[in-house]
Amino acid sequence: MRGFRYAADRLRAVFAAAVLMAFAAFALTACSFGTEEQEEASGSGDVSVLGSGDQTLRIVSGSENKELEPILEEYADEEDIRIEMSYKGSLDIMRLLEEEDISYDAVWPASSLWLTVGDTDHRVKHAESISITPVVFGIRKSLAEELGFVGREVSVRDILSAIEAGKLKFCMTSATQSNSGASAYIGFLYALLGNPEMITMEDLQSEELKIQVQELLYGVDRSSGSSDWLKDMFLEGDFDAMVNYECLMIQTNEVLEDRGEEPLYVVYPYDGLSLADSPLGYVDQGEEEKEELFLGLQEYLLSEETQDAIQRTGRRTGYTGISERNREIFREEWGLQPDRVLSPIRMPETEVLFECLNLYQTELRKPSLSVYCLDYSGSMSGRGNRQLVEAMEQLLIQENAAKNFLQASQDEVNILIPFNSEPIDVFMAAGNGSELEGLYERVEEQTPGGGTNMYSAIVEGLDLLYSFDLSDYTPAIILLTDGQSGGSIDDIEPYYSDLGVSIPIFSIMFGDADESQLEELAEYSNARVFDGRENLTEAFRSVKGYN
Amino acid sequence: MKTKLMGLGILAAVIVAAVVYVWVSDSREVTEISGYVGGEKIGLLEDEEVQEILRDQYRLEMDYAKAGSIEMVTADASGRDYLFPSSQTALELYERLFGSPVKSEIVFNTPIVLYTRSAVAQALLDSGIASEQDGIYYVDMALLTEAVENGTSWADLGLPQLYGNVTVGTTDPVKSNSGNMFAGLLANTLCKGVADETNLDSILPRLQDIFQKLGYMESSSADLFDQFLKTGMGAKPLIAGYESQLLEFAAENPDTWSQIKGDIILLYPTPTVWSSHVFIALDETGAAGIDALLDPEVQRLAWEKHGFRTGVYDVPTDADHFGVSGIAPEITMIAPMPDSETMERIIEALQ
Repeated sequence: MRGFRYAADRLRAVFAAAVLMAFAAFALTACSFGTEEQEEASGSGDVSVLGSGDQTLRIVSGSENKELEPILEEYADEEDIRIEMSYKGSLDIMRLLEEEDISYDAVWPASSLWLTVGDTDHRVKHAESISITPVVFGIRKSLAEELGFVGREVSVRDILSAIEAGKLKFCMTSATQSNSGASAYIGFLYALLGNPEMITMEDLQSEELKIQVQELLYGVDRSSGSSDWLKDMFLEGDFDAMVNYECLMIQTNEVLEDRGEEPLYVVYPYDGLSLADSPLGYVDQGEEEKEELFLGLQEYLLSEETQDAIQRTGRRTGYTGISERNREIFREEWGLQPDRVLSPIRMPETEVLFECLNLYQTELRKPSLSVYCLDYSGSMSGRGNRQLVEAMEQLLIQENAAKNFLQASQDEVNILIPFNSEPIDVFMAAGNGSELEGLYERVEEQTPGGGTNMYSAIVEGLDLLYSFDLSDYTPAIILLTDGQSGGSIDDIEPYYSDLGVSIPIFSIMFGDADESQLEELAEYSNARVFDGRENLTEAFRSVKGYN
Repeated sequence: MKTKLMGLGILAAVIVAAVVYVWVSDSREVTEISGYVGGEKIGLLEDEEVQEILRDQYRLEMDYAKAGSIEMVTADASGRDYLFPSSQTALELYERLFGSPVKSEIVFNTPIVLYTRSAVAQALLDSGIASEQDGIYYVDMALLTEAVENGTSWADLGLPQLYGNVTVGTTDPVKSNSGNMFAGLLANTLCKGVADETNLDSILPRLQDIFQKLGYMESSSADLFDQFLKTGMGAKPLIAGYESQLLEFAAENPDTWSQIKGDIILLYPTPTVWSSHVFIALDETGAAGIDALLDPEVQRLAWEKHGFRTGVYDVPTDADHFGVSGIAPEITMIAPMPDSETMERIIEALQ
């Protein structure tokens, strides 16, 4: 009897333990679900999952590394692990490192500058440069010849003169969102200041400098929040030149050649060159398994074989320059100089650098002209509307926007078109003062109701754009919608083509939005769709970084 | 037969129990200590042979986070057992801020050196800034400083492929030790002696000017050295670092080293300063790290695989195994660093 009872007790204990374990397991899965949601949210949809194993390495990376996915995937398959690549601008990665919680295991910004500046808590370990690529100008070859840039050393000044003379327009990424844009912009500042040894705070006070930079940035055709998307946009549009990484120029030219189109000629401005050293570092949060996973991947990337494969994507790797075999990738007829001694400018100290970026955002960049078409249909009631209001607060209230270098500039124009089955109202704000912040109240007080027709709001927006000289602005339509829309793209076509300027129609997908309708608009206007379903604020921030 | 089997069974059980006991107690006894370490010593701490000695003989595991030497002694170190900066100055700064640590001791030494590429070294030789003696390169600090202050361009030295003026790339002297020591060395050079409170004021503006031109600086010596090797001559024509860095790289990557050794040149500044890697124990647990790192076997590995000179500024018995030419067997032209009050003022001025 005693024995039986004892056994029963033991059974009960075992059962209790099993229940506990089941709970623990449940809690664990619940936890991991939680983090997964967060990740996707912070990536605002720009996430690639490579491989399918149980162990996952989450990497937040500059978009230029998208081109390395096949190389990463090979490793993921071989090792039976999952590599999640979330793409963000280098400056976003910097800010993310400053935060208390980091939902990634590794960071891979374009340049170690942003890693060092952001990692004030010293959580990044084992950071090593994977490859090097310079930021260069790529100019349509015939135009480069016409400008006399072929076969000789070119200075930033030479390029500026061509821009001033109206002979050259170019695309670049936003200096406050992306490393390639920031690097090029600092190069411009040096040149305009007459190539001092170092940029100082006093230099930045100069009104003359400000006017010159504004004139120069006036030559910017289209802006972008990320280098890889700039390349895609360039390939979809009709542009003459772009500032981007040497490796992405090579990839662009490979596509152009396949299409039988004219390639870009790569120009290395000798007094304004900067290098992206692509450091991959581990974010130490005390998980040994992750650390091993990370070190395995890093070893693979730095192995001789992989370094060669990476070099074949147009990046400079290893210690001994570009191999004989890979010279065919760095083609001299495209202006590439595989043996060039890459002698970059020096980046200013952090304080000066940030002042440069602030100036760019608030005064110097071409002012943006943004038309926000915001969905106030009935389905947005409640949670959807609350999130919309929160997201707009991050953009419109300048104190919040400054945290992400997304402040409005003094000459920019913001237009708000709330819509349901038709445009409800139009609100306009000039500059970055009280008018702009007043828009936030409009966002707040509007109540959702009725059906959805986004096309009618876009038509209204296009109609308003007629009254502006669009060459003075970086114009964009930013659409947020959560449902299937009535009407069709045909409704906007006559208005759109009448404008004669390619206005990107970015959209933020929300709720049950019809992705195909949004993709259609993006393709039509050479823009892109952002996923706001997990984190609307993040999506608004991303889209704002594009103009 | 039956008893025999039972005996065997008991024996087996005892063995299993013993193994389990040993295994459990073994894993229990290893103490993990955590602290901040200068990046240049991470190779040593990650060395499996070193880790094994620490674990087996000292029951110690050293966890670390990378931080600059100056940064780590001024930052909040609560929850850490030790700090492992790279200079006596860092220790003195710590003492001035927080008082005496539980224990501290110099574990290794390495001189501050300059690294460059063969073309740059040749240009420095031609201009008389550098000289060569028995296959060892020396840089005259006074002449180099003069070139930097005068705004001599690389093109002036016959290197038109390099953009800009002659500078020495260093880590941020406010955060990291190698940059900090180089700043001390520059201050000495400008004072034509050892910088102290009597002569510092007159040279501070010149020192600020030299560093102002550098703009953004790396905060870790290891990162700077990695970039020196990978970004090529154009990006980092001349940098300041530790002698140990190249020796460790050559020992760890013999194949790569054999491909690039013709192009990488180590130069000894005259005079130079010693970087003393001093282990600061913040608590009793951390103090165990000192004994472990002073273990003769660890000290041997520190020299042979990681290039740290050990003992009392010892002449290395054998440097041939590195395959690095131009290692000075003895470093005789040594200047003392300015004292910690002076260094603190230099750090403030460069902030």
